Amino acid sequence: MSTARPALDAPVAPPSSWKEYVFSAVVVAIITVAGLLLPESYYLSVGLIYLLAVIMLCLRVGRGPVLMAGILSAFVWEYIFIPPHFSFAINSLQDGLLFGTYFVVSLVAGQLTAQIRAQAQDERRREQHATALLHLTRALAEAKTLDDAVFAALRQADDLFDAQTSLALADETRRTLIPHFASSYSLNEKECTTVDWVFRSQHTAGQFTSNLPDSTSYHLPLVRDNETIGVLGVKVPPDRALTPAQQNLLEAFARQLALSVEREHLRAASEREKLLAESEKLHRSLFDSVSHELRTPLAVINASADSLAGADPTLSGQLINELRTAVRRLNRLVGNLLNQSRLESGTLKPRLDWCDAGDIVNAAVESTCDALAGHPLAIAVPEDMPPVRADFALTEHVLANLLLNAAIHTPLATPVFLTAGIEPGGQRMFFNVADRGPGFSPAVRGRLFKKFIQDDAASAAGLGLGLSIVRGFTVAQGGEVVAGENPGGGAMITVYLPHPPPKAAART
Amino acid sequence: MTTSHPARLLIVDDETQIRRLLRVALEAENYEVHEAASGQLGLSEAAGVHPDGVVLDLGLPDLDGKEVLRRLREWSQVPVLVLTVRDGEEDKIAALDAGADDYLTKPFSRRELLARLRAVLRRTQPSTEETIVRFSDVEIDFAARVVRRAGAEVKLTAKEYDLLRYLAQHRGRVVTHQQILRELWGANAEDSTHYLRVYMTHLRQKLEPEPRAPKFLQTESGVGYRLVEA
Repeated sequence: MSTARPALDAPVAPPSSWKEYVFSAVVVAIITVAGLLLPESYYLSVGLIYLLAVIMLCLRVGRGPVLMAGILSAFVWEYIFIPPHFSFAINSLQDGLLFGTYFVVSLVAGQLTAQIRAQAQDERRREQHATALLHLTRALAEAKTLDDAVFAALRQADDLFDAQTSLALADETRRTLIPHFASSYSLNEKECTTVDWVFRSQHTAGQFTSNLPDSTSYHLPLVRDNETIGVLGVKVPPDRALTPAQQNLLEAFARQLALSVEREHLRAASEREKLLAESEKLHRSLFDSVSHELRTPLAVINASADSLAGADPTLSGQLINELRTAVRRLNRLVGNLLNQSRLESGTLKPRLDWCDAGDIVNAAVESTCDALAGHPLAIAVPEDMPPVRADFALTEHVLANLLLNAAIHTPLATPVFLTAGIEPGGQRMFFNVADRGPGFSPAVRGRLFKKFIQDDAASAAGLGLGLSIVRGFTVAQGGEVVAGENPGGGAMITVYLPHPPPKAAART
Repeated sequence: MTTSHPARLLIVDDETQIRRLLRVALEAENYEVHEAASGQLGLSEAAGVHPDGVVLDLGLPDLDGKEVLRRLREWSQVPVLVLTVRDGEEDKIAALDAGADDYLTKPFSRRELLARLRAVLRRTQPSTEETIVRFSDVEIDFAARVVRRAGAEVKLTAKEYDLLRYLAQHRGRVVTHQQILRELWGANAEDSTHYLRVYMTHLRQKLEPEPRAPKFLQTESGVGYRLVEA
């Protein structure tokens, strides 16, 4: 990319400079001097040499100098070499024909060669454009990141147009432009206005255009699918202009760059998506394998204990009960670990449905009856309580964790109270678990719902995951948890859940 | 199936310990037990031995349990009891929708296993055409459309009776909310679970000895209901 290529032919058909005229005149003069050294009778040969020189000149100089050389040589030849010498007079008809033919031939030859030369130049320019685009495409394809690609493209544009370039790319919202660090000049305030206009209108603007022409550089939009994804700016030195051909090339350049930017965006998006799906899959498989690995042995222990009990009822029933209790406790622990990981992975999606609050309470009490064995439990669910909208399983876990907490953190025989109801006003329903234990110490209350927090005063049972799960599952259902003092002593935790009117939630 | 020969069961589970355990528990109850350690083997075994019932683990190494169920259901109506370690109700509902008759969450007790198995096996036995079903002190007479509790007739509304009859016909087995709603209210009512709760509360108040802590008309967390006998 950095191979030194000449800046793209600046002007397409450069006006012949005075040097070419002088050069042509010098050539004619040299031939004239050389001709004077030849014998007089060689004047025909001198004429042919002039003609040769004019045609040769066509290959080097522009149309104007060729015409000048043709006319000049015709008159010099006539004046000096055609007899009578040093006179414009023509003696014979033959000399007259010679002069006339020479004049016409030199003009036609000059014209034709000039045309051929223009065509060749055209060809060369097209080839240069094609090569430039090829180099760009290759550079873009080779780039590993979008920044690499932009950097390569801009440096190439710098070389190619012998100018400075800038690029601003739209951010993800496609609202604002962010200047790219690879730009070789920075935009001033006025340029920014132009760039902004280009971004909104999707038209080129700035120098050499009719839109905002007093800008100091030329700006083109990068457009994909009718959406502007960036603006490319080109700043040429003040003494030069961008030709229409260069503007065309720049447009092609911008298209190519836009394609590359868009491709990169799509790639990044699909990469992100893949990563997300991958992590979800990983979590799911981890989840499944942990639950499988931990629960299978539990199932075996449990079923063996069952069989043992069935086979020999007199055999240390006490021990078997211990075995069962241990299994249930382990199972709850695994359940809570998995629940916590569900919460943290963000894959928890509550399935809200109409539930009977009494059903949820029963399920929670049943799953914790062994742990609650030593505690008198008072349940109060109003007789006329309407169905509530909740995720049955999540709410069951919430209540089970609260009951377990009460059982674990209070001395044996301490009563536990479980109350459910609709708040006055009917906006929310609540579950309330209270005990007559020591209550929460002030130090712990603020951090109560964090993972692995335990009240030091209490026994070290459980992992301290319970309340964190209680909060997580409640919040997931749109509710909130409040911890407080039980009036008359002890701890009290209330779980509030939204209670929408059934008509609105259940289509009839 | 005739009852003269022991019911043939196929256990599909990749865990050797679980297979061994189930074999011990089931052979003690006079079932004939066949085993398969993967989904593929399970499917070919099912085609080979024509079991009267299948105990299928959902977490198989080669095929997803639900996929095994789907393929099995393409050609067989054999009763299937699904074993799962997953707590998620979605998985249970998905398995039931895929054609499972009931599920059992690990760890489970032997008593539960045998009760569920008996209930799902009953589906293909001719005795399902009985006209009277009893549980607790309740007697349902399908022919007369009468429900008696301790000998005295209980007044039920038409919907309450339909709900009770549907549960009684599937007694011992779980029925999902969706199944009940489709059966009783038609295909368009699948999200009116609200009414279902209300009818269930009424039924429990009329039939359960202790409506607040139902023993027979049980709730299956987030999945549905189950009528438990005795």
